[in-house]
Amino acid sequence: MSALPMTLNITAETETAKIARGLRESDTELLADLVERSQRRLVRYLLYLIGRQDYAEDLAQETWIRVLQRGSQYDGRQRFDLWLFAIARNLAIDYLRKKRKAVQTASSPDDRDEILLVPSSGPSPFEAAAQSEDAIRLAGQLQILPPLYREALLLRFQEDLSLAEIAQVLGAPLTTVTSRIYRGLAALRSAFEEGGDSHGV
Amino acid sequence: MECDKRFRELIDRSFVEEVSEGERRLMHDHIRDCDGCKRYVELTARTIRGLREFTFTSEPDSSAQVREILAHHTATMRQHNVQFRIWAAFAVALSMSFVGSALVYQVTERLAVPMHLDTAQVQAGVLVFWLLPSFCAALFLLAAPRENRGIA
Repeated sequence: MSALPMTLNITAETETAKIARGLRESDTELLADLVERSQRRLVRYLLYLIGRQDYAEDLAQETWIRVLQRGSQYDGRQRFDLWLFAIARNLAIDYLRKKRKAVQTASSPDDRDEILLVPSSGPSPFEAAAQSEDAIRLAGQLQILPPLYREALLLRFQEDLSLAEIAQVLGAPLTTVTSRIYRGLAALRSAFEEGGDSHGV
Repeated sequence: MECDKRFRELIDRSFVEEVSEGERRLMHDHIRDCDGCKRYVELTARTIRGLREFTFTSEPDSSAQVREILAHHTATMRQHNVQFRIWAAFAVALSMSFVGSALVYQVTERLAVPMHLDTAQVQAGVLVFWLLPSFCAALFLLAAPRENRGIA
């Protein structure tokens, strides 16, 4: 009875070990395969973090370059996608910090104008991706929801990661992870509630 | 209607993590009699279902672009790596050339007396037969085509 899970476990270990070895050797074929398998999920994750499709694509590219440069740091003990998300997360945080810093410290009006050139209105990426009536109702809430909560909801309900795996990606304790998911859910639930303003984050 | 907070927490937990069989039964018994919590369950389920109904598409050629960029970066990294190893080998060979010359000079100086050689002859011998050939060998590492270096 217990032979099957054990076999699956060994297969999973071999897979991550293979990836770790390939990354250490900068194996281009392996990298191409990883890109093929994970690019869409990576872009979606970054989209949830920064809320912009174009920047998400750029950051995804940067993430892959970082994977190539730091491939030797992946030891194969955890799932590759969790490691990938953690790298993407750090890059997204750096990007958001830089963006905020640029807005706060820009001294000349030109700098501010440059930032204002970046379109912030128009349809949110969530509206464009909504595939049902309910999803359309959620899209508006998702756009205004802080990325911290959006991220936790995506990892739990779209990536179907366990709480422990989410904690690994976020580098946060389990209690923080659950609290973010509950708060995010509460905020989104209000999209369906009459009045639509209760349970705000 | 404000229901007992712990039931709402239990409902949330049942959607997000594992709850025990006892807790599940307790929750179902409560929901059967509580319209507020029944609606809460429906809304939460609807929210989670809605979250799964987003389909994001990345740009069609984005994967191909990334693969191309990675291939280019890999080639550049390998080139830098080879260059680094060549310079490192050159540095080692050069230092060995000077250290080796000093050692050979020490030994030859001791042999100079029985062989009736003066200091200038010993210095010239070490220079011609040790220092110059080893220095040239170190330079050869930099000048030779990559396949002849035995490094790349």
